[in-house]
Amino acid sequence: MKNIFVSFIYTILVRPWLTFIIGVSFHNIKPLKDANQFIIVANHNSHFDTVSIMAALPSNKRKNTCAVASGDYFGKSPFTVTLMKLFFNAILITKKTKPGHLSNLELLDQRIKEGKSLIMYPEGSRGNPGTISSFKKGIAKLLKENPSVPFIPVYLDGFGRVLPKNKVLIVPLICKVRFGSPLFATTNDTKTTLEEVKKEILNLKQKNERDRNQFDFN
Amino acid sequence: MDIFGYYIPIELLFILCVIFGVLIICSSIFGFISLMNKSDSVSELVVRTNSWWKIAIGITVVATAPAIIGTIVLAYVVFVALREMLSIIPLRTADRIVLVASYFAIPIQFYLAYKNYYYLFQIFIPLVMFVCVSIILVLTGETNRIGRSMAIIPTILILTVYMPSHMVLLFHVNVPEFTVGAGGLIVFLIIITASNDIFQFTWGKLLGKRKILPKISPNKTWAGFIGGVITSSLLGIVLSFLTPLNYIESFYVGLSLGIIGFVGDSIISAVKRDLKIKDTDDLIPGHGGAMDRLDSIVLTTPAFYYLLIFFIEN
Repeated sequence: MKNIFVSFIYTILVRPWLTFIIGVSFHNIKPLKDANQFIIVANHNSHFDTVSIMAALPSNKRKNTCAVASGDYFGKSPFTVTLMKLFFNAILITKKTKPGHLSNLELLDQRIKEGKSLIMYPEGSRGNPGTISSFKKGIAKLLKENPSVPFIPVYLDGFGRVLPKNKVLIVPLICKVRFGSPLFATTNDTKTTLEEVKKEILNLKQKNERDRNQFDFN
Repeated sequence: MDIFGYYIPIELLFILCVIFGVLIICSSIFGFISLMNKSDSVSELVVRTNSWWKIAIGITVVATAPAIIGTIVLAYVVFVALREMLSIIPLRTADRIVLVASYFAIPIQFYLAYKNYYYLFQIFIPLVMFVCVSIILVLTGETNRIGRSMAIIPTILILTVYMPSHMVLLFHVNVPEFTVGAGGLIVFLIIITASNDIFQFTWGKLLGKRKILPKISPNKTWAGFIGGVITSSLLGIVLSFLTPLNYIESFYVGLSLGIIGFVGDSIISAVKRDLKIKDTDDLIPGHGGAMDRLDSIVLTTPAFYYLLIFFIEN
């Protein structure tokens, strides 16, 4: 019942609103249909990022995909927690884990072992629009622990202008969600994996800019 | 002629049949060629023709449906164009509130046009929005590069909202003994503008040598420009049955639209060169963004409207 309600909201309201009013376009979403389990790795500029990625997923994948979010930021009121859990299946992680509880990494690892897919922002927080700051190591460790799970790089373009950090006003402007193909980490070394992941996202960013700038001016 | 209880003038029906006939011929020729020759340029043509089908269906809706539906469709197209222009131009974070105000100008402008409040329609964007944009920018208190935003945003509003909104005024053109109605005028305007683009490109490819604006656009040549304008003028005479104008007036309208369409195309091209982009977006496959297709029609719409009014009144 809950799943039907959520996918109804996404297909009837969220997705048309994103495409027709806000101006979000989704690129290369075909590989998502074939992938069973994955970890989506994206750059992070706005609260819109998670909404758009969730809206891009096919509904049978969406119910199995959890967004990893900061419990310190979203966990303040029970209302937001409920919303986050309902629409994003959010896994809220806090900087300081309570003694006796699983650490963040163990928690996420457990979710992956349960068969869930994850959406992660290795930058940690929403940085400045257009720049990709340094990645945190957690994603590489998760990929090392679960070699059978691929990561899907995603480049999000323009969301930092639609709803930047610390702003409430939503402005419709063109933005793009560009998915890469599912990839497996090639080494066990976390540092190399992290660089690989970052390189894939930067490749998508370059592709995005090339698509706009390729003018035949001779 | 009545179709499913809708009255569609026979001239309009005829020209819509011609448009779809041309599209069917193009689609079958390109489809046939692409079966044998799978090169990129052929598949590009197929993609372009498929997009033209969608545009033609949109035009049919605007030209034949009741005025309110046509107005809503045009307002949405203008919204997409404005969104595109505001997205490609780098603006400050402090300008975001003005952008929202600009979007709200669209329903107001189209409502004024739909209701035919002529004077309010005339002053709303050049005067009211101009002042509003400046005042809101002043109230944000962010003075760094404020002048640039004060100049750019009203210009974009004039170009992408005020100018194309004149198309809605065509629904109110009333001439005794002219039975084709607004649909005919809209189709006339769009056909002349679109074919002007196509013929300028075609003549340029066939005969073009000397570039007319080498720094703005490498594809525009003198031969293309002159050939396109002559073709548009002749097409104006041929299509004069869609308008209340006689052959000579129609010829002048075709001629002016040919020249002004070229100007509109060049203005948007120049902006794109400044921003170092090829297309404004990838919304329409094979064509680029909405503004890439609307670049000439934003300027020809008011020109056509005022020429029409001038010729009707004199």
